[in-house]
Amino acid sequence: MVQYYRQLDSAFAALADPTRRGILERLGRGDASISDLAARFDMTLTGMKKHVRTLEDARLVTTEKVGRVRQVRLGPHRLEQEAAWIEKYREMLESRYDRLGEFLERTKEAP
Amino acid sequence: MTTPMTQSSPKAKVTTPADREIHIERIFNAPRDRVWAAMTDPALVAQWWGRGNKLVIERMEVVRGGHWRFVEHSPDGVHGFEGRFREVTPPERLVMTFEWDGMPGYVAVDHTTLEDLGDGRTKVVTTSLFHTTEERDGMLSSGMEEGLNQSYAALDALLARMAA
Repeated sequence: MVQYYRQLDSAFAALADPTRRGILERLGRGDASISDLAARFDMTLTGMKKHVRTLEDARLVTTEKVGRVRQVRLGPHRLEQEAAWIEKYREMLESRYDRLGEFLERTKEAP
Repeated sequence: MTTPMTQSSPKAKVTTPADREIHIERIFNAPRDRVWAAMTDPALVAQWWGRGNKLVIERMEVVRGGHWRFVEHSPDGVHGFEGRFREVTPPERLVMTFEWDGMPGYVAVDHTTLEDLGDGRTKVVTTSLFHTTEERDGMLSSGMEEGLNQSYAALDALLARMAA
């Protein structure tokens, strides 16, 4: 568990900001241009570029220039995170059910 | 598809029929009503859900559309989990969404059924399906899920709050 969270450490700084979490949430619905994102989050292009760069450095998003527009999409770290998260979820569920079994044994009524 | 598990087993049987799906079966040595209560009564949930870590149940409205939010205090930090109940059918079926604060935009939908084995034991089967919000919204708008409008609105509000 500790190792898992350490693995995510680099992304945590990028995720600490609510706007950047919102950007990832938005990109979960589909790719967007920097200007789309700036409009959606009611901020200047310069401000949005800064956020996108931070996410890009953490490999949470990638950007690509298409014509005059810079498109932003979820990056490789995000997909690795997703796989790690699903595996982590399975471990949590199993460990929770271990605890539930113990709890039910512990609280069993006397016959 | 998954292979049905019929024999009794103290440990979970885990299969992964698809990359985005988790399937766990477990038999508990307790009658179904007790297992149901342990899963839906906040006072009881608090005693096992945190896996030995301190658990704060901020909200737990066990009704369709109801919101739940738990905060687990583990040695490596504080982690918030939340979602909505989509189906509550005592004492046999519980469907809920699950999101971790650290993984915004990803939603797991847990389908849990409790089967009375007739000998004082209960088989619990949980299937978790993982979606991005994009896929989930597509699924909801195509009408595959019951109560879709209600869930859609609730989840949208939740996500809007997370993104705020």
